[in-house]
Amino acid sequence: MQLRRAAGALLLVAVLTARRANAQASAEQGRATAESGATPSSSAATPDPQPAAVAPPTHRVSTSNLTGTVGSEIAEYADTDHVFVFTPSIAGAVSNPTAGWSVNAGYLVDAVSAASVDIVSTASRRWEEVRQEGSLAGSYHPGNLGVGANAIVSSEPDYLSLNAGASVTQDLLNKNLTWLFSYEYGHDVSGRTGTPFSVFSHEIDHHSLKAGVTLLLDHATIVSFVADVIFDIGDESKPYRYIPLFAPGVYVPVGASVADVTSLRVSERPLEQLPLSRQRFATSGRLAHRFRSSTVRVDERLYVDTWGMKATTTDARYLFDLGRFEVGPHLRIHGQSPVDFWQRAYVMGPGFTYPALRTGDRELGPLLTATGGGSLQVALGSKAAPRAWVIGIDLNGMWTQYFDDLYITQRWSFVGGVSLEAAL
Amino acid sequence: MQPPLHALVVLLTLALMESGCASVPAYDRGRLAQPSMTTSDLAHPSEEHVRAVQEGATGGGFAAGGGCGCN
Repeated sequence: MQLRRAAGALLLVAVLTARRANAQASAEQGRATAESGATPSSSAATPDPQPAAVAPPTHRVSTSNLTGTVGSEIAEYADTDHVFVFTPSIAGAVSNPTAGWSVNAGYLVDAVSAASVDIVSTASRRWEEVRQEGSLAGSYHPGNLGVGANAIVSSEPDYLSLNAGASVTQDLLNKNLTWLFSYEYGHDVSGRTGTPFSVFSHEIDHHSLKAGVTLLLDHATIVSFVADVIFDIGDESKPYRYIPLFAPGVYVPVGASVADVTSLRVSERPLEQLPLSRQRFATSGRLAHRFRSSTVRVDERLYVDTWGMKATTTDARYLFDLGRFEVGPHLRIHGQSPVDFWQRAYVMGPGFTYPALRTGDRELGPLLTATGGGSLQVALGSKAAPRAWVIGIDLNGMWTQYFDDLYITQRWSFVGGVSLEAAL
Repeated sequence: MQPPLHALVVLLTLALMESGCASVPAYDRGRLAQPSMTTSDLAHPSEEHVRAVQEGATGGGFAAGGGCGCN
């Protein structure tokens, strides 16, 4: 753990990370063209087909029409359920804004250390795991029509995930309207640590369709709408998650402790079993408005799925410039209903029968999460190019209320990172 | 049935928005080109991944990796 923190501190000081470099690169390209009287980059008015799973690049090198970037990111997650995640990452990109193409790649590592109540309740010790993820993406947008493709591979001892997708966009009405359509396929293999996938594994396929449109409402306002349809096919049940069962009539209170559950439950404890397919539908809207020296962004997302879950997510950011400082407070509220088969206490029926569908995953139960935090960026460059060097800090605190769960009723968690961005 | 209702809402919204779409000339897009006006999500990548793990109502986000570190 100390080694990990030392490595984090070293990397921190050594300058890596930058959250918005990709976005800034495309937006700066648009700004440059706009200031020269040309049409802004279409990418600045296009819904993001798939948010990058890796840190955006930070360090830029320009020769002729080519722009090269490289960077990395360090992030840390901790919560009151004794879960800690340390995530260093690197990324790089090459693009030719004039020709309209770009290629980027990234790699990250998640080092997870957990002793959550779910682990304790199964009489297990602290669990540690490392996940690695690599990604490659490219796009070509020479005129009004653009195409893109991406691939992501994620691997950990008991889970392998392969994803690949493609997208197409088109600018219309003098680039006042841009539509997007994308498809992504994912194939996951879920197993058990220490057991070869050939001996035990579940295979899960994902098909994701996305359609979106972005409109310029006026000279300072953008609105976007995106609709997602996702088909998950396969058994996503966790092979480590055992479900406590209770005799009829036994009352189990919300937030019952591990000791209480152990004393109240029957000896039978089957594994989790989820439905073998799931269809998800989400509709999202985003409004962004730029004032003279500040920006307000508001997102709303509505979600339903065939497991009976309904959810709403509202996200708001206000970023304002204070000389060399950019401050961005952030608020987010997420609420969701439980899946149809959710029960706090599953009952063992006559003849040792129990519900065919059962879960102990509290993320499938009713919950409300409030997030508060923000970002701070300080431009450290020269007066002529203040953003040649930028140091940034991101920190968000999340409070989750679980309304109908065993073991815990609320959780605090924190995720944050520190960055230093350099540009040539 | 929820999916058709969603599709209807989306189509209706798009139709309304299209009718209200202004034509912004290229020389008047300086504010739109500000980095904070990007259509990309400003959320930290790790923050996105945390949400994908902590919230069951994820969608369109599995590109962040199916491995959730949550077994």
